[in-house]
Amino acid sequence: MRYFFACICCINLLSCSLKEPLYHNQSYVFGTLVDISTYGETDAEGQNITATILREFQNLNNRLHAWKPSELNGINHQIAQGNSARTAPDIADMLKQSTQYSVQSGGLFNPAIGELIQTWGFQNDEFHALSVDAKKIAALVKTNPQMTDLVIKNNHITSKNRYVQLDLGGYAKGYALDVGMNMLKKQGVKNALINIGGNVIALGKHGEHPWRVGIQHPRKPNAIAALNLESGWAIGTSGDYQRYFMLDGKRYCHIIDPRTGMPAQGTQSVTVLIPPQANAGVLSDVASKPIFISEPNKKQDAIKRMNVKDVMIIQENGDILITPSMLKRIEWLEPDAKKHIQVLQSFS
Amino acid sequence: MLKNTFKSFNHFPKPLLGDWIIIVVSLLLIIWLFNSLWVHEDAAKLRIRLGNQVYGEYSLKQNKALTIQGKMGTTLIEIQQGKVRFKQSPCNNQYCVHQGWLHHAGQAAICLPNQISLELIGEKKQFDTLNY
Amino acid sequence: MKQITIQTTEEDHKIAKLTAFAIGLHLVESAFPSPLPGVKPGIANIVTLYVLYRYGIKTAAWVSLLRVFASSLLLGQFLTPSFLLSLSGACLSLIILSFANKLPQKYFSAISLSILAALAHIAGQLIIVRLWLIPHASMAYFIPIFALAALFFGCVNGLITSRLLHKE
Repeated sequence: MRYFFACICCINLLSCSLKEPLYHNQSYVFGTLVDISTYGETDAEGQNITATILREFQNLNNRLHAWKPSELNGINHQIAQGNSARTAPDIADMLKQSTQYSVQSGGLFNPAIGELIQTWGFQNDEFHALSVDAKKIAALVKTNPQMTDLVIKNNHITSKNRYVQLDLGGYAKGYALDVGMNMLKKQGVKNALINIGGNVIALGKHGEHPWRVGIQHPRKPNAIAALNLESGWAIGTSGDYQRYFMLDGKRYCHIIDPRTGMPAQGTQSVTVLIPPQANAGVLSDVASKPIFISEPNKKQDAIKRMNVKDVMIIQENGDILITPSMLKRIEWLEPDAKKHIQVLQSFS
Repeated sequence: MLKNTFKSFNHFPKPLLGDWIIIVVSLLLIIWLFNSLWVHEDAAKLRIRLGNQVYGEYSLKQNKALTIQGKMGTTLIEIQQGKVRFKQSPCNNQYCVHQGWLHHAGQAAICLPNQISLELIGEKKQFDTLNY
Repeated sequence: MKQITIQTTEEDHKIAKLTAFAIGLHLVESAFPSPLPGVKPGIANIVTLYVLYRYGIKTAAWVSLLRVFASSLLLGQFLTPSFLLSLSGACLSLIILSFANKLPQKYFSAISLSILAALAHIAGQLIIVRLWLIPHASMAYFIPIFALAALFFGCVNGLITSRLLHKE
């Protein structure tokens, strides 16, 4: 009997030391699920660090909310009244950077069309099918709000166009990824994974292997593929399957084409991989949108404009357009997917 | 005489160099076995085998009682929100019943006489997080 | 009536005595409940090891196998799964011992042999479970526990054996 107890003690000791040092923390921020994992930290450290980051995300969300009272919302009010608005330096920098990306995308990434997005109802957490007055949309498009209308000087913002209404919905999550990444590094965390509403950035590894990320199938409840996300890389997807409504058999998704004021059609999803750089998170959020909105024959131009190498586009008919470098990294989990692959050879 | 025997056991011979090598190598092997065979994830599914056939697979996220006709008689299996056990068995030794609840993926309980085995299967995660 | 006499040698008597002792130990052990089927001290193996050192592998094989057969007959387990497990364990154990016996005695004492035999014993049993009794059954979770128990009891039995040998 003594032997047996000795054995049990040994087993307990062994099994305790073998628990994987993986810590998870989840919260709802930015109207979506935020999930932070750390590897190699104790549970207490992991809890401490991830909670700090989640608080910072909540803080960012409160400041950047497009339609509830917030700093950004305050700027929108001032712009609508033709006034100048004072803002915090980091928000001024965000707006400058978004302007730059908006120009780079040929206006397809346009955070100035807040009013259009609100008209479609996609700003609300609970949105529903609605038929939108085509005339109203046309009128809003005609007001032509552009990021380049903004004049930002010494943290003061004025707009040449009163119809500019800022909505950083396609930017803030990516920005938060970069903020979270910097916080992790400052805290000395070596291995972590941040997922904000599907946009993911990796730091270090999951033990001996790289962090592994699944890519959601746009029409099925499972992952279509998976890939290794090496340290510093970010991945982002724009899809028509997260926020959308169906009306008369037609799908209206939350990604609005600023040129027509209508939800972009013809694409199920665009996934981009961004190599390590200071604003990898922002790019993972921003770069997929212009590609998503572009017409089928202009998608390759959009990829070049946004200067991304690793792209996967799933079109309305299920065809998968993919760049050679992306194809190399991806492992298909959906057996049928391989039949629909078209490699974009011009990017090899 | 018994007393003498005990006395003589007071001094055990010391293990030799080779003995120590064997002990250390076996320990390393055992640690490796623990490391590779003990998965510390909670189980998601239960697989029951009867004889050499799969009798069925069940979700562990439910409360359910199963009765299975084995070689010796009726075995009662109980699933209770993430764990499972042999509740009743017609076998003589009752080892399977004494094993109690199984929780973790990779755990198994076997009733040799009635030829029924329970095996817990984890959801093998294909990735750490999902991009959508 | 014709009386049959079997010629027995001194060797036969020795084997019989030692086997009887091993059977005794085996029966005593089977009277104690085991916390997990398969985890047993295996004290009868002390006799096998002792015989191996005193009289060689052939005699050890006789004692070990006779013990397995006789004990299972006495316990009413002959040809049942328990018997098969015992037999396969004993066989693999003997095979390993026949090799381990050649290790230099200067460095490897009965402790080494006992540990190797115990690990082989449990390996032999697991092979039978896997291949024959319940194919496909997942034993994975138990293997490390069995191995740890084998190492521990192997050590203890080895120490006792080596003490017994030393005494003489």
